[in-house]
Amino acid sequence: MRRQVPLILCFAFGIVMALTEFSPHPFSQWLNEEIIDWTLVIGPFALVLAVATLVQSHWTRIRRRSEYWQYSFLVFIGMAAMVLIGIPLGQRHEAFVWLFRYAQVPMDATMFSLLAFFIASAAYRAFRARTLEATLLLAAALIVMIGNAPVGDLIWNTIIPFEDNLPSTARQWILDNPNLSARRGIILGISLGVISQSIRIILGIERSYLGGVEGD
Amino acid sequence: MIEKLMNIDRRIVFILVALAVIIPSLLEVSFPITVSQPTRSTYDYIEALPPGSTVMIGFNYGPSSLAELHPMAKAVIYHCFQKQIRVIGMTLLAEAATLGDNMLKDVAAEAGAVYGQDYAYLGFRPGATQVLLGMGTAIDSVFEADYAGTSLTEIPLMADVTNYEQVDLVLDLASGSSTEWWITYTNTRYNQQIAAGVTGVIVSQMYPYLQTKQLIGLMPGLLGAAEYEKLIDRPAKGTEGMSIQSFAHLLVVGLVILGNITFFIQRRQGE
Amino acid sequence: MKGQRFSCPVLVVQGLVISLLVLGCGLNAFAQEATTTEDTRLFDTAKIWIFLAVILYSATVVYCIYHARSGKELFIRRIPGLEAVDEAIGRATEMGRSIMYILGLGGVSNVATIASMNILSQVAQKTADYETPLRVPCNDPIVMNVVQEMVKTAYLNEGRPDAYNEENIFFLTESQFAYAAGVDGMMVREKPAAVFLQGTFFAESLILAETGNSIGAIQIAGTDKEHQLPFFIAACDYTLIGEELYAASAYLSREPMLLGSLKGQDYGKVMIFGPIVIGVILELFGITWMTTFFQRVR
Repeated sequence: MRRQVPLILCFAFGIVMALTEFSPHPFSQWLNEEIIDWTLVIGPFALVLAVATLVQSHWTRIRRRSEYWQYSFLVFIGMAAMVLIGIPLGQRHEAFVWLFRYAQVPMDATMFSLLAFFIASAAYRAFRARTLEATLLLAAALIVMIGNAPVGDLIWNTIIPFEDNLPSTARQWILDNPNLSARRGIILGISLGVISQSIRIILGIERSYLGGVEGD
Repeated sequence: MIEKLMNIDRRIVFILVALAVIIPSLLEVSFPITVSQPTRSTYDYIEALPPGSTVMIGFNYGPSSLAELHPMAKAVIYHCFQKQIRVIGMTLLAEAATLGDNMLKDVAAEAGAVYGQDYAYLGFRPGATQVLLGMGTAIDSVFEADYAGTSLTEIPLMADVTNYEQVDLVLDLASGSSTEWWITYTNTRYNQQIAAGVTGVIVSQMYPYLQTKQLIGLMPGLLGAAEYEKLIDRPAKGTEGMSIQSFAHLLVVGLVILGNITFFIQRRQGE
Repeated sequence: MKGQRFSCPVLVVQGLVISLLVLGCGLNAFAQEATTTEDTRLFDTAKIWIFLAVILYSATVVYCIYHARSGKELFIRRIPGLEAVDEAIGRATEMGRSIMYILGLGGVSNVATIASMNILSQVAQKTADYETPLRVPCNDPIVMNVVQEMVKTAYLNEGRPDAYNEENIFFLTESQFAYAAGVDGMMVREKPAAVFLQGTFFAESLILAETGNSIGAIQIAGTDKEHQLPFFIAACDYTLIGEELYAASAYLSREPMLLGSLKGQDYGKVMIFGPIVIGVILELFGITWMTTFFQRVR
């Protein structure tokens, strides 16, 4: 029974939500919006769960003096600072905006900027013309990279006096044609996979997502 | 030697990337910018809107993608204010709420736009799907008040704009999947015209929507910002960034070529 | 999958009854309240072709699933990324190091996350057998709870409940790049021998995969976000492309009903591929009605 109830609910909601997509009737639209509203209710519970889990795991780390346990204090300090300023003073308060602008923005931007370094090292290591297919990919990548930076057009227009701006035109052609076709193929495969997986979930064939619920 | 080059320490690559970014930012180098068709389509659409039209801008990027998308936001908002097009800002991401607010305020100060008449900022509401669908019926059913807490009924601009029917264009500035949400829920259901400005990482993902005209225009990363700045004849951060991007791209191209030369030499030696 | 043959039709009937009750009662109530301006049609005829396509494809998948119950051997092509799962776990066991499983940034309702959980369930059964530590840093607290229960059950089913350590499955943060920073830090400190990156990934994909590569871990990746595939292909040893992620649970478990759905998927591809080929041929001869028809489908 513990397993059957969620499976029945999953089936009923799955079918109802799919049907509401095809019906413009006010009830159908109301039902669709109402069910989405219900899912929003999960948000606050997830937040409580997240905070509880975070506090618990870092507290345990401090108590047991696990490796690098000192850093767990930083988690508590950061969390307390944002909560104590953000909740009573609001998001538009100078102090909160200062923390956002001078703490969160640089930290997030730093992590994102690592991509530039990693793209360069991954490209150097992985972009090798080992086979014909790899060579074609390599050529396409080089054209897109050159075409994506204005210096590509400048070099081309200076050295070769015909077909102005060919690198950026070639880049656009690659994005509009081979890229689009390949992407469509993958998207179609993914979409069919998603529908098929959804059918398995709705029918209760795929049930490992239910966690450790045992027995009927 | 060849073996060493093949297995070059990644830290050397990192130093080269750092130099390729730092040096051009110190030197004031500029390159001519060629405007791509998807960016031009966005510009043309906004340019053709009559004064008094409304553009809704979704600031759907976090602080991490700020460097790429902020210049784009700035250029488009400035263009709108210049054309006396009204701007409504909002976001589907909690962490972007402050970003959007600051951006609109900054550009409005430059362009002399007035809050409540020329622009409004609605801020963030949780539940992306619900927000996008809800605004199709009534914007004030989702956002009862703006980001500062002022009721929408007290904002003159919002008196004329009740749902998507009064919005001439939605521009989604995105670093994630939000453009696809706008397409699914507002283009498909409400026939809303949508344009997007996205980070360079996800730009190729948007091309299928461009071909099907579900997107009327697309601005690709920092290059898109530079292209738009060129179109409105107001070079700023996007244009400045192009010299850095150019050198960084040249470096990656150079590294790939070097990697392949060493690969071929090694293979020949092996044979 | 125990008892599935009998429970499936029962739950379908029960679910259908509930669905019809909800729809019936609601429609009745709303019919009395509807105003003249509202669209009170039960079915949007403009969507008829999409509806028929969904019904046709779903029926094909369902038919293939139930047909597969006959026990007939089904061919499934080799997927190197999934073949390498055993190799990755074996390597970690030999080296006496941990395995790190990253489910990406998707929530529990994300189909790719569910697919990833299914793979994790299979991986957990194997790590339980070999007593290899399995570390799962989570980005979503609900996903974390489900995963804890799932892995616990996997260890229990393998008769190794003592080897299960709840602290190895933990919530890190919901923030995208803070999560990437946290996972990267753990990778560098703990040096797991194998890293699984399965689920929904965005710009953090290469940051995670390159760090995994730098510590010499064997990496198996898979994502529904096709724009992240090039990064995984460049930095990981094996990458599941597109629908392979969704095929993984069927492939690893070899459960006939799950394999049946893969066959249905293939028929789906034929349904799409056929009209594309016919459409191209017709266009070449200047016949455009098929293209016009598909352009009108909404």
